[in-house]
Amino acid sequence: MASTTSNGTIQVRKKPLGQRMKKYWGFYLMFIPVLIFVAVFHYAPMFGIRYAFYSWKIVGDPVWVGLANFEKLFKQSQFSTSFWNTIVFSVVKLLLNTGMAVIISLLLNEMISIKFKKLSQTIIYLPHFMSWVVTASVFSLLLSPSENGLVNQLLIRMGAIDKGIYYLADKQQWRVWYYIINVWRETGWQTIIFMATLTGIDPGIYEAASIDGAGRWQKMWYVTFPALGNTIITVLILNLAKIMNLFESVFVLQNDSVRRATNVLQTYVYYQTFNSGASADYGYTTAVGLFRSLVGLGLMLICNYASKKVRGRGIV
Amino acid sequence: MKKLIALMLTMALCLGLVVSATADEPLKIVVMVDGTVLDQNNGRDAIEARWEELHPGVDLEFVQPDHSAYYDVMQQRVSSGDWPDVLILSSTYYAEYAAAGVLWDMTEAWENSKTKNSGRFTGDNVFDGLKIDGKLYGFAPTRGNGCVTYVKKAWMDACGITEAPTTYDAYIEMLKAFKEKYGTYAVAAAGFVGNEAPFVNYLPEFYQDAYPYFVQLEDGTWADGFCLDNMKAALQRIQDAVADGLIDKETLTNKTSDARNKFYDDKFGVFTYWAGTWATNLKTNLEANGKDGELIALKPLEGNPPYYDRVPPVWCITAKCAHPQEVFDAFIDTMLDGGDTQLLWEYGAEGTHWSRAAGTVLAGTDKEATYEEGQFHMLENLEKAGTLYTKNHIDPMLALAAFEEGYDDPRSVAPEALAASELFNANSRLASIVPVTDVLSELNGELTTIKSELIADVALGTISVDEAYAKFESEGAKEMSDEIVESLNALN
Repeated sequence: MASTTSNGTIQVRKKPLGQRMKKYWGFYLMFIPVLIFVAVFHYAPMFGIRYAFYSWKIVGDPVWVGLANFEKLFKQSQFSTSFWNTIVFSVVKLLLNTGMAVIISLLLNEMISIKFKKLSQTIIYLPHFMSWVVTASVFSLLLSPSENGLVNQLLIRMGAIDKGIYYLADKQQWRVWYYIINVWRETGWQTIIFMATLTGIDPGIYEAASIDGAGRWQKMWYVTFPALGNTIITVLILNLAKIMNLFESVFVLQNDSVRRATNVLQTYVYYQTFNSGASADYGYTTAVGLFRSLVGLGLMLICNYASKKVRGRGIV
Repeated sequence: MKKLIALMLTMALCLGLVVSATADEPLKIVVMVDGTVLDQNNGRDAIEARWEELHPGVDLEFVQPDHSAYYDVMQQRVSSGDWPDVLILSSTYYAEYAAAGVLWDMTEAWENSKTKNSGRFTGDNVFDGLKIDGKLYGFAPTRGNGCVTYVKKAWMDACGITEAPTTYDAYIEMLKAFKEKYGTYAVAAAGFVGNEAPFVNYLPEFYQDAYPYFVQLEDGTWADGFCLDNMKAALQRIQDAVADGLIDKETLTNKTSDARNKFYDDKFGVFTYWAGTWATNLKTNLEANGKDGELIALKPLEGNPPYYDRVPPVWCITAKCAHPQEVFDAFIDTMLDGGDTQLLWEYGAEGTHWSRAAGTVLAGTDKEATYEEGQFHMLENLEKAGTLYTKNHIDPMLALAAFEEGYDDPRSVAPEALAASELFNANSRLASIVPVTDVLSELNGELTTIKSELIADVALGTISVDEAYAKFESEGAKEMSDEIVESLNALN
């Protein structure tokens, strides 16, 4: 309902909530299953957070320990290593994957043959659909120090090394290969969003640049790349908010020799739970999980703030 | 007064109805089980139907999560308080759940059971190992089984070795001969150390009497096996063997399937793997790859302890079960009845998993087997066409009781499987159950990770044995180990 105020502006008055709900009852009815799903599977489990303040080994009653689990957490050297590994792996991975995705998108954009471009896109998207378990098996074989290891055999034949290197057993080399494997698997998929942006660039700008005498390289540098700027920042911000979720990619590539040096928070929780020779203290592992969530929440708020500044709107 | 009488009569009628309904209600047993029982895709319904046919008046209900997720789901169920009547547990959970009061004490029921007093039962030593403070909380229908070392006969022949080695020196000489002849490592395994008890069973010739977990010494006190001198010697043996190219260095990253496939591809000649049925599996897979499948199972080397017999998974009745004695009688005490129920648990249901009807069974892509009427034979796997079922839950070779005399025992065990199984049974000891303390559950996760890393680093030659033990102390692992040992000794 609209009415005109004394200064001539038109004010729209909303109908009471009850009336609006009655009017749109069909939509509210359809929303109920979603509401129940979210409440049951997303919010109800959050009550489990309370176990972070208890000692609980599944059987028997939980025992209140206050902040003791958090105290223990900060004393454990493995926790701090895992925490920093989570941050470092995620940030390096994020920068490398995004950087490579931009480069590949620019290269794909420059391809003249449409057929070859589509073929290339399909090939680079495919690894994303491979499970991490299969990916780990394939790379374990490729990186094998034996005569079956393609990488070592190539390097030996090129004269770069004398004998096979056990990359996945070396604490430093493992990290390098972890990043390479991630780039191989995820970069292609990330190019989709950049390719979509590139498709949206007005061809008139390229024509104008050509008339101004810009060459191919200059057009790429002065037209294409700036057009991607906003998307790059958006992708970085959106991905930064979820960097604490690192498990499978690390877990499947770990082995006894590198485990402590490469643990991230989620693999640390896993080994605390299943490597103890007994039921783990779920209170402690919940405390680790809660700490991880709090850091994630902090990062998300920072990203939200950054997003508002850059894009004019938040991500939540 | 009339109203009161009418009310009382009505109440009596209702009560009578309730009582009669309860009396007629069959005994229902909710059983939580892992993938060691054939699952729903493999004809579990037929097993359930046959079991109920053999035990009229009892309603059996299986709860069977995915095998790999069993302990996750089982723990969730226990923590929620919705306990099944019966569940199957590995040794770790068995000891802990028994201590926490989750399990029903079946000591007396077992002593008076038909199975124990049948005269067919051969597992007294296994059951002695299952007792916690003299009480029994679980029933094992089989031995736990363990690993024996298999040597390829063709490799021995090619190297002119006529006798299987009986000493460590002769064993190493054989490995060196294999390496020289075939230009490859001689031994491979899945990990230099296992991630569950008995941790050393894939490399027993190198570990010998060393054990990297908590062990009870002769005087009854507990010690960390990793800190004993015999472990240092074992680590040195492993390091030397890897450095000499006798053990595959990729043992670190091998999964069990990788190790098996390398064995089938003739990449190495000595493989320590499960006794019994696996002897046949190894043979047939080698032959399928066009290799010679003849294997020789080695006895433990002179001076070495027997092979480890894994503590078997056990069937337990939970403390919340409403009728534990009835459940014990119907479910547990019939598992090895020497008759139809034992047959069901060993081979599955007739017509679904096995048959005595005349017919032809496809056993492989180009193999067919024809059976006459009355001849027992396993049927084709419902999920994997071209392969046959070999067993249901109980491995016939590991069963702790034979069939009743006169019962038509269908056991037809391949000779190589029988030989490996008999050799193992004659040369094995039960791995001990380590009690669980609060300190152990708090510190052992991190301690085990450190131990595994040090063992791997020593094996690959990244650090020496002495450096490994110096690291063990400097990184606080020794302190954790001492605390756990102290907590275990406090139980004595």
